[in-house]
Amino acid sequence: MSEEIKPNEIVDFLKPRVGARFKMWLGICAHCGLCANTCHYYTANEKDPKMIPSYKIRFLKEILKKKGNVDKDYLQKVYETVYYECNMCRRCTLYCPFGIDIALMISLLRALLFSQGMAPEGLVKAIENYKESGNQMAVSDEDWVETVKWCEEEMAEELVGLEIPIDKKGAKILYTVNAREPMFYPQDMMEVAKIFYVAGEDYTYCSKPGWDDTNLSMFCGDLKTSKMIVENTFKRAKELEVQQVAITE
Amino acid sequence: MIHSVELFHDYIRDGRIKIKEKIKEPTTVQDPCNVVRSGGLAEKNQRLAQYLSEDFRPMKYQGNYNYCCAGGGGAMPIGGEMKKHRLKGGKVKAEQIRETGAKIVFVPCHNCIDQIRDLSKEYDLGIKAIHFKEAITECMEIPEEMIPKDDES
Repeated sequence: MSEEIKPNEIVDFLKPRVGARFKMWLGICAHCGLCANTCHYYTANEKDPKMIPSYKIRFLKEILKKKGNVDKDYLQKVYETVYYECNMCRRCTLYCPFGIDIALMISLLRALLFSQGMAPEGLVKAIENYKESGNQMAVSDEDWVETVKWCEEEMAEELVGLEIPIDKKGAKILYTVNAREPMFYPQDMMEVAKIFYVAGEDYTYCSKPGWDDTNLSMFCGDLKTSKMIVENTFKRAKELEVQQVAITE
Repeated sequence: MIHSVELFHDYIRDGRIKIKEKIKEPTTVQDPCNVVRSGGLAEKNQRLAQYLSEDFRPMKYQGNYNYCCAGGGGAMPIGGEMKKHRLKGGKVKAEQIRETGAKIVFVPCHNCIDQIRDLSKEYDLGIKAIHFKEAITECMEIPEEMIPKDDES
């Protein structure tokens, strides 16, 4: 692959996003190494110095310094670091004397790669699904509602009077799930139905997109899709006039 | 926004859900980064685990200071290309779990639970990773009027 990387595109992407906080973090990191032992990748990889969190974000500094003059191979190296060597867990930040948010910078690098058309296949597929159906597994509205009803039938046999409300206006809570639940783990939905029923909770599901509380597009910096996912949920919450949105485990 | 861990914790604390019998086997709890470090539920997450356990054993680093399972940040949904990296990175979590001697690990996160189940296989931990939901439904008291009467059928 010898696609041309346009330095101005990279600079145009980074410039509005690298604000005062990022500049300060890049400037004040003393490479003291306190973050090293906090990282599970560092520890699990026999203390490989390449895995030290503060080292992983060297790319951001370099790309800015080079004014975006980098090639595809370079971006591939960035890709391997920001995806294969970091979970953006923010544990290093907790131990950093300056509280430098490494994960946020990793996240920016992922977004930069996405703007250059580089993202893991698994996430790209999920993004397509979100755009098409509003959820990561491309479950249709009909299948979703049917699954909820099936869970209700099953659970009503175990607990007398159990119902699973859908689109109940004015409920206290709009409950949302991970789209893997209707696909692979319907027992999760059944269990929570039991808990809510016994606790006497006033909740509802929504029938239209907004019921999937995952946001995988966020992990590769596709903020447009991320925004759409969150907006769907809030739209449903407003329509149903609920007080709270609850998310699954 | 409210997370299930907080809802479930409050149900038990406030007596809306009563626990009939606690889990006897040793348990521990994972602190998912987004629920705990970023979501602020360190205390409630651990207390919920204690509500359900007779023999709760915290991990060496717990709450906000707990390690990531190495399945976060999209590592699970990324799929195959990530697998060997997350299994390697998860060694730290596997050792943390082993150290507790727990047989049941509460994992209030879909990402973490899939990863920890993979880790259990990879590092032969011999544990069962479950969501709180599963434990609560097994341990809670069901009010008399909700129990179906067999003579109907």
